[in-house]
Amino acid sequence: MTTHNVRTRIALLAATVVFCAAPASAGDDPNNSARLGLYSVFYHVKADDLSGPFVPAGANIDANNVETAYLAYVRTIIPHWDVELALGYPPLQKTVGKGPATLGSVPYNGQVIATARWIAPTVLLEYVFFDEGSKWRPYIGAGVNYTTFYDRNSTAAGDAASGGPTRISLTPSVGWAATAGLNYHIAKNWHAYASYSFSKVTTDLKAETAGVIRTTHIDFAPQALVVSVGYSF
Amino acid sequence: MYKLLLLVSVASCAAMLGACGSSSQSAMVATSTAHGTLAVDPPFRIASLDAGTFQAELAGTATGAQLLQITGAPNCGVDFYYIKFWTVGGAGEATESSGALMVPTGAASGCSGARPMVLYAHGTNPDKTLNIADVTNTSNSEGVLIAAMFAAQGYIVVAPNYAGYDISTLGYHPFLNAEQQSGEMIDILTAARTALPKTFSSATSDGGKLFITGYSEGGHVAMATQRALEASGAVITGAAPLSGPYAMEAFGDAIFFGNVNLGSTVFAPLIGTSYQKAYGNIYSTPADLYSATYVNGIETLLPSSTPIDTIFSTGLLPLTALFDSTTPVVTVPGNAVLSAELTGLLSVPGSANYPLPPTAQTPLFAAGFGSPFLINNSYRVTYALDAASNPDGAVPIPSAGVPLAATVPVQPLRQALNKNDLRNGDWAPNAPTLLCGGDQDPTVFFSVNTGTMAAFWNPLVQAGLITVLDVSGTPAGPFAAIQTGFQQSQAAQLAFYESPAGGELSPAAAQLLLVQGYHGAVAPFCAAAARAFFSQL
Repeated sequence: MTTHNVRTRIALLAATVVFCAAPASAGDDPNNSARLGLYSVFYHVKADDLSGPFVPAGANIDANNVETAYLAYVRTIIPHWDVELALGYPPLQKTVGKGPATLGSVPYNGQVIATARWIAPTVLLEYVFFDEGSKWRPYIGAGVNYTTFYDRNSTAAGDAASGGPTRISLTPSVGWAATAGLNYHIAKNWHAYASYSFSKVTTDLKAETAGVIRTTHIDFAPQALVVSVGYSF
Repeated sequence: MYKLLLLVSVASCAAMLGACGSSSQSAMVATSTAHGTLAVDPPFRIASLDAGTFQAELAGTATGAQLLQITGAPNCGVDFYYIKFWTVGGAGEATESSGALMVPTGAASGCSGARPMVLYAHGTNPDKTLNIADVTNTSNSEGVLIAAMFAAQGYIVVAPNYAGYDISTLGYHPFLNAEQQSGEMIDILTAARTALPKTFSSATSDGGKLFITGYSEGGHVAMATQRALEASGAVITGAAPLSGPYAMEAFGDAIFFGNVNLGSTVFAPLIGTSYQKAYGNIYSTPADLYSATYVNGIETLLPSSTPIDTIFSTGLLPLTALFDSTTPVVTVPGNAVLSAELTGLLSVPGSANYPLPPTAQTPLFAAGFGSPFLINNSYRVTYALDAASNPDGAVPIPSAGVPLAATVPVQPLRQALNKNDLRNGDWAPNAPTLLCGGDQDPTVFFSVNTGTMAAFWNPLVQAGLITVLDVSGTPAGPFAAIQTGFQQSQAAQLAFYESPAGGELSPAAAQLLLVQGYHGAVAPFCAAAARAFFSQL
C-alpha cells in the first residue's frame, strides 16, 4: 500500500468517524442542515514544465476556472462548532496548453488539450461566531480535501500537440482546506451562506502517447467562492 | 438525518468508483512480432512543421541556411512520425527496430493526395541513440537533410534507424549485412504503408511510385534493397545508391593492402561484430582479429551512447591506426616473388606501391598505420594470402568492371565481404539507377565501388539505365549545376579554412581538413542529384 493510499484512507475514515460519532446537541434546535448553491473555482496553477521525450522547453499547462453546483451536509456537534461535508457536482474541467504559441506548427498556448471531471469531497471543522439567534454569523473552518479525477480525455488539439491519441492519468490528491464565510438567517430553518475557501490540491499527471510518456506535477491551488442556501432540520 | 448522510456517502463512493472509469485511449501495441509488423499503431508524431516554419528553422542556423541553398525552399510542410516495427537481426533474431515516416503536408500543389515514396538508408553513425525521425534533435543532420530534400518537396520518406540503434534490443548492428539490412528496409516499408492511413497526415497517400536511396553505408543498403525487391518481383520506379561500399570484396582488399580509408577504425569493429554474429567464423576469439590494446569490450563498443570523441580520447579505439606500422613479412612457401610482392603491398604507404585511386589521398593512408593499432598483423596476413590465392580482380591492380573472383575466398572475413559484395549473383538493376559520389572520397573509394559496379553492370543492362555522377568531375550534362555547386562549396570551404575566421590554416592544413570533410560534404549534393533523377521518372 502506498503512502498516498494510506493518507487517503485516513482522510475518509476521519470523515466517517466525525459524522457517525458526533453527538447530537441538547435541546430542540436543529442540528443538521443541507445546503445547495453555486461553486466558483478559481485556479492558481503552478505546474512543472512537461518533461519527457520530444517536449520543447517551456511547455506547461494551465486550468480553466469552473463553476458547478454545491451540495453540503452540515452537523452542529456542539454549540459554535459545525462539521461540514461539502461536495461539488463533478464539473468538466478543461486543461489548456501554456507556453509556446505552437509546438512545431501545432497550436499550443491557450488550446484546450484535455478535459476531466473531478469530485472533491471536503470535510471541514468550523467555528461559528455569535449566538445561534444572531441574524449574521461569520464562521471559519479548516479540514481535509480529497480530490479524484475521472473521465480523463485528451482533446483533438491535445492529441495533435502530443503526437497522437493520448491516455491521461492524474493521481488523486489529499490536502488541507480552509474556509471563511458568513451565515445569514433568512427565516425559520432557512439560511443563506457565502464563503471563500482555499485548499491544497496537487496531482501528478502522466500522458502516454504511443508509448511515449510525458509527466508533470501540478499544484492547482484552487480558491472557491460558494453562495448557497441551507435548510436546517 | 441519517438518510441524507447515507446519500452523501453513496454519492462520494460512486464518484470514487468513477475515478476508475474510462479515459481516452492511446495507440495499440502489436502482439505479433512477425517481421514487417507495425509495433505501435498509429505511430507517434514527433513534430509537425508547416513549410514556412520549416524554412524559418532551417534559415535560423548556418548549416541549415547552407542546406536550404541546395534543397531549395520547402514547398510542403512535413509531419515526422516515429515508426516502431519488427524485423530480424543478422542471425535471424526477432528484434524491434525503429525509424522515420516523414509525410508531406499542406495545401500547396504536390503536398497531399497520392505522393511518391522514398525509402532511404542512412550512413554509418556511431551514436546508438540515433533517431532519424527526431527532427527536434539538432545533431540529427541526416534526418533534416532528407526531410528538406525529399519530404518538403512532396515525397513520403521512410527511413529506418537500423537494428542495434535506438529502441532495438539487438546487442549489435548488422553493419553492411546485405540480407539483414535489405530485409529491414522492406520491413519498415511494410510497416510505414500500414501506418500512413491512420496518421494525422492521412490526406497524403502512397501514390505507388517507389524510389530507393541512401548514403554511404546506406548506399550499400539501398542497392541491396533494390536487389532484394526486384528479386521479389516488386516494381521500383528508380534508385540512387550514393557513395556506398558496393564492391565489398574489392574495397576490403584495397584497405587490407594499405589504402586505409578515413573512418576505418570505426568501421572495423562494426563490420567485425556484424559478420561474426551473422556467420560465426570471423574469429575464434576477438583477440584473433583485434590487438590486445583494444580487444576488451570491442564486440559491444559500437554503436554506443558514448560520444565517439570520448571513445577515442579514452583509448577504446585508435583514431586512425587501423594497422600495425611494423610491416609483416609474408612468406608464401616456394614463391619468393609473391612473398616479396605481398610484403611490399602490406608496407606503410607512401610509395608508388599504391596505384589505387584516390591517389591524391595516399599521404592520408599513412595515418592508417601506427602503434598501438587495431587489427593484428597475423590476421592481415591471412587476408592478404587469400587475396593472392583468390584474387578479386579489381584490386590490387585495378581492372574496372570485373566480376567477383570465380574462386570463393576461404579466409572468413573475405568470404563475408564476398557474400555482401553486390556483384555477387551477377545481379543488375531493372529500374533506372543513379550512382552518385565523389572521386576524391577518402572514406568510401569512388572508383573501387561506384566505378566497379558501373563497369560491371555496363554489359548487363540496356544503355541509359545506369547513370554515374562524380560530383568532383568536370561539370557537364543534366547534373552540371550540382557538380558546379559542389565544387564551389569546396572552394569556399577551403578559402574559409585559410581565412582569419577559419583559423588561418596553411594551404596544406586547410586541404587536409577539406579532405577529411569530403565524404560528408558530398552527401547533400548527391541527394539533390537523386531528387532531380527521381523527378524525371
